[in-house]
Amino acid sequence: MKVTITLRGTLKKYFGEDKERVYEVPEGCTCDEALRIAGINYREIKNFGFVSVNNKRVMIDDRLKEGDLLKAFSKVSGG
Amino acid sequence: MTMMGYQNKVLRVDLKEKKSSTEPLRMDFARKYIGSKGLAIRYMYEELKPGIDPLGEENKLFLTTGPLTGTPVPCSGKLSVAAKSPATGTMNDCSIGGHVGIKIKFAGYDMVIFEGMAEAPCYVVIEDDKVEFFDASDLWGLGSHEAEALLAEKYGREYSIMSIGPAGENLSNMACINSDYYRQAGRGGIGAVMGSKKMKAILIKGTGGVKVADIEKTTDRILEILHEDVLQEDNTYVYDEGTTAFLEACEDGGIVPFKNFSSANDPEWEKYNGSVLLQYREGKRGCGSCGLGCGNFLKIGNAVCEGPEYETIAAGGPNAGIKDPEHIVKFNEVCDNMGLDTISTGDTIAWAMEMTEKGIHDFGVRFGQSKEMLEMIEKIARKEGPGADLCHGVKYCSEKYGGTDFAMQVKGLEFPEYEPRGSWGMALSYAISDRGACHMRAYAPNEEVFAASIPPYTEKGKGKMVYELQVSNAVKFSLCLCDFWGTISGNYEGMAELMRLITNEDWTAEEMFDVGVRVINIGRAFNQREGFNRAHDTIPKRLVKEALGGEGPAAGQRIPQEAFDDMLDQYYEVMGWNRDGTIPEEIIQSLL
Repeated sequence: MKVTITLRGTLKKYFGEDKERVYEVPEGCTCDEALRIAGINYREIKNFGFVSVNNKRVMIDDRLKEGDLLKAFSKVSGG
Repeated sequence: MTMMGYQNKVLRVDLKEKKSSTEPLRMDFARKYIGSKGLAIRYMYEELKPGIDPLGEENKLFLTTGPLTGTPVPCSGKLSVAAKSPATGTMNDCSIGGHVGIKIKFAGYDMVIFEGMAEAPCYVVIEDDKVEFFDASDLWGLGSHEAEALLAEKYGREYSIMSIGPAGENLSNMACINSDYYRQAGRGGIGAVMGSKKMKAILIKGTGGVKVADIEKTTDRILEILHEDVLQEDNTYVYDEGTTAFLEACEDGGIVPFKNFSSANDPEWEKYNGSVLLQYREGKRGCGSCGLGCGNFLKIGNAVCEGPEYETIAAGGPNAGIKDPEHIVKFNEVCDNMGLDTISTGDTIAWAMEMTEKGIHDFGVRFGQSKEMLEMIEKIARKEGPGADLCHGVKYCSEKYGGTDFAMQVKGLEFPEYEPRGSWGMALSYAISDRGACHMRAYAPNEEVFAASIPPYTEKGKGKMVYELQVSNAVKFSLCLCDFWGTISGNYEGMAELMRLITNEDWTAEEMFDVGVRVINIGRAFNQREGFNRAHDTIPKRLVKEALGGEGPAAGQRIPQEAFDDMLDQYYEVMGWNRDGTIPEEIIQSLL
């Protein structure tokens, strides 16, 4: 299935100039697995924040479906 | 006893008698509370008698720096501005950026304490050891920006200026103090305390410096820390985007309030997203000693501000049902000039909008009405029409007109712009905050919304989580460090190293943690003396009774009373407090 991945904050550098990328991922794969296909392992990125699917925060191990927009944010602090 | 990094001197200014004096800083306090936030609260505990009128002559205004202020330590340019709060009756310490803290230190003082009340409007000029008092009758009634511009023209740009607008003069519970035009000590009616003293402005200039033991070693190490720790990707979003970056994260996280916290997540949030606002950026600015430079100057149409910060975007925009970027910038500009806290002002108008829409009381303003909202700001500041009531905030107004269930406040301080039903730890954080609902005590979304794996919709583990966040901030802000140096948070050894470098004394990570716990306790002890206990650590009924509306990830959530009570129990237990929220006497004795 195809999903779109887009990055925010300081994670943007992993996609260079690309605003978003479309990936072919296995049916029912998790956000974590999809990000790793895109070359992003959240465990190895100190300032990795959280993920959302279709603009709603989800847990990193939640599953994706065809056509989802997966967004990964870097950490933010303060206010 | 003296210590490097400190000036070891307090300036005390008597506004009634128009005289000043100096005295040694209480170094026994400094050793236990360091500076800024902690030191200010310890002085308040010592000097403000229980039960005093926050707007009476016995209240004092404490401007407190820390040992790092005025040194090259990055992000150390903040100043604590503290007094008993007229909005809450609790202690209140605010943090303000810009350059005024550094000017106080260079003038030779760790603290400046303003006492008494002037008989007529005045402003005070401090230049090193010279303190002068001037008539401010020509400035009284002017906006803060206008007053500051006149003073800057008269005295030159070497002075840092703190000023109040009409809201402070008229003793609004939502009045702030401005500095360097665009920075604010915002919350708890701190500007009304300055207004009650009839002090329109303070100008400060200093020609001295700060002594450290080994300037070469200190500077070399600080430069290493700047490059190794501060100028890292975890922190540099602050320069690139500032807090405008929060809007999308908070939207996807489901915690941006919409229409007075009746729901979260405006489906049209992309109209005023950070990426849209930053298209109008004209410049950047940072505080003194800053390595990051978070300030964005925006101009849209005829609206100009430094900001808007996330809180102001949400308070002026979606929480009032308004989606226009120009309105948000104008809301920021008008609040600043009138000397009003954007959070409390936005929330209070949003509450008035809901009251009007529900037909409970017509305040003449409804959700989505930009023009009426902007006009209401000035009415609040000048106490005109509905503003005569609204200037007191939502607690006062809801007790007078009804609508307490959706008056979004704790202890009389309005909610910052994070919806607690999407971040249950924030409900606890607001409830136990020593100055009422505040996001700067323990910033729970960092752990349960912006982190990858901690569930937000549960009470489990939230007592300890909030405690740990609160301790870290209490130390960090007692060192005068800015919140945006994110990587120093929780790094007690890093903070201890900064203290060792500057003071040339032996500080350990364990001691730094203990300072944080002590700072929380002394604030609580101040409030306890004023009669506060568990009964005041509450949240509005809306959070308990109403499922969160909207389409966001937290839609449908509410915080059951038993879950909230459990979080309170957890927190009291980890703090070593009694179940009724009081502090055991042995802890109080250890604070003194």
